[in-house]
Amino acid sequence: MSAVAAVGTESGPGAAGADRVIQGKRTGRLKGLAVIGFMLAVVAWSIDGTIIADTDWSRIGGPKGVFSSLGRFLQLDLGVLPHLIVPMIETFMIACLGTLLGCLFSLPVAWLGAANVTPSRLVAYPIGRFLMVLSRSVHEIVWALLFVSAVGLGALPGILAVAMRSVGFISKITAEAIENIDKKPVEAIRAVGGNEFQVMYYGIVPQILPVVLGVVIFEWDINIRRSAVMGLVGAGGLGLLFFRQMNMFNYGGVTMVVLAILVLILIGETVSHFARKAVT
Amino acid sequence: MARVLEVKKLHVTYGKIGPEVLKGIDLNVEDDDFLAIIGPSGAGKSTLIRCINRLVEPTAGSINLFGQDIRAVSGSALRHVRRNIGMIFQEFNLIDRMSVIDNVLAGRLGYTGMLRSLLRWFPRSDIDRALELLDRVGLSDHVEKRADELSGGQRQRVGIARALMQQPKLLLLDEPTSALDPKISREVMGLIRDLAREFKVPTLCNIHDVTLATEFCNKIVGLQDGHKMFEGSTESLRKADLDRIYAMEVL
Repeated sequence: MSAVAAVGTESGPGAAGADRVIQGKRTGRLKGLAVIGFMLAVVAWSIDGTIIADTDWSRIGGPKGVFSSLGRFLQLDLGVLPHLIVPMIETFMIACLGTLLGCLFSLPVAWLGAANVTPSRLVAYPIGRFLMVLSRSVHEIVWALLFVSAVGLGALPGILAVAMRSVGFISKITAEAIENIDKKPVEAIRAVGGNEFQVMYYGIVPQILPVVLGVVIFEWDINIRRSAVMGLVGAGGLGLLFFRQMNMFNYGGVTMVVLAILVLILIGETVSHFARKAVT
Repeated sequence: MARVLEVKKLHVTYGKIGPEVLKGIDLNVEDDDFLAIIGPSGAGKSTLIRCINRLVEPTAGSINLFGQDIRAVSGSALRHVRRNIGMIFQEFNLIDRMSVIDNVLAGRLGYTGMLRSLLRWFPRSDIDRALELLDRVGLSDHVEKRADELSGGQRQRVGIARALMQQPKLLLLDEPTSALDPKISREVMGLIRDLAREFKVPTLCNIHDVTLATEFCNKIVGLQDGHKMFEGSTESLRKADLDRIYAMEVL
């Protein structure tokens, strides 16, 4: 009886509790409004600074101008077709060789950077992890620029750039697969008198192989996209053709190159889809 | 009857400050022994058996196998010791994604060179022996199957064939039946005992199932909390001894 009465009265603990809840909700709403207001201010400031102040409005010349400019890209230049074949094959080869070379580089990096097999936790492990981050934090175009200045123009710097960019992902996933293996087969191979190579080859490799093959195929698929733009900085493939067509203001030719890239990517997607199904 | 294995005052501590798991164990195995090590979980049975092929490093004491001090060897000498010791595991420890025959052939890796290992290119004599052993353990119909397609009892039979493939001079069994049901457990223990007798391999077996231990083994060693509480022939094991070994279990 007395407890019910206390909840009902104005001065009771129940009323004070409700006041606290209402007060809490009020400050919550105010905080929410402040955050939204701040975000809107940042967006408005960015639009003003980048789009309104930074666009050459006189050159756009109204909506008609925009559409007619875009329309020029739709007038396909079929004359470019015969020139597409060789760069397409080259792009494909850059992707394949780059991925293969990337796998080769990934092996030692994964070995260094997998906590349970690394030769030294203090020295080798951080080096392995650093190489993984380095490979991924530098953009493929930047890798390509580095290699173009190192080995000159052509497909070779493209292959090297794709390889360097691939190492990060392949070695990271491989290292994680090694860290997650079941230790029981490893113990068994050790117990029969196997050496370190046999322990790795029989105890570890069969366990990580499906994961590694899957990630390599996935990376190869991505590398087709990457090799398609290598030519923009002189590292071979379709990108170079894209660059030339753009410089000649041959918009129909540019579209042809983009379509060629699309065809390559579709081929890559299809092969990758079925190949990954086959390995898992 | 000849002494095969002699363990003296064996101590094991995991890590630098870890608890002491084995506190001065003495153990002898003769050449016709099928010796069971019984005791509650955490008594140190697995640690003791893993010290003998140095999967676990002892901290003090001596282990003498066929007159050789096991604790003194390292590198390729240690691998030569290990290939003379077959081991059968609680959870079989097979390579799941490899075929049954390749798993059995893996028992020969201690005798197999780099190139042959790389290509899984085992000599014909090894393959003949692997097929013969698979026949003996009743897996002739499963030779090319992948190891993870088999049932638990079949997987342990692959484990048995792999261990015998080493032509071991000593067999170590680490709870070979705890992952199996009672009926299969009895079959597997019977198979191991018969093959151990046939190939004249002394055997050391961790087992927590006392009934199986008394049924299949001629000698019993009881461990509790790193101490040896009992040692003697199976016939001499009394209820009072079991009560002492498993005293902690009641709590």
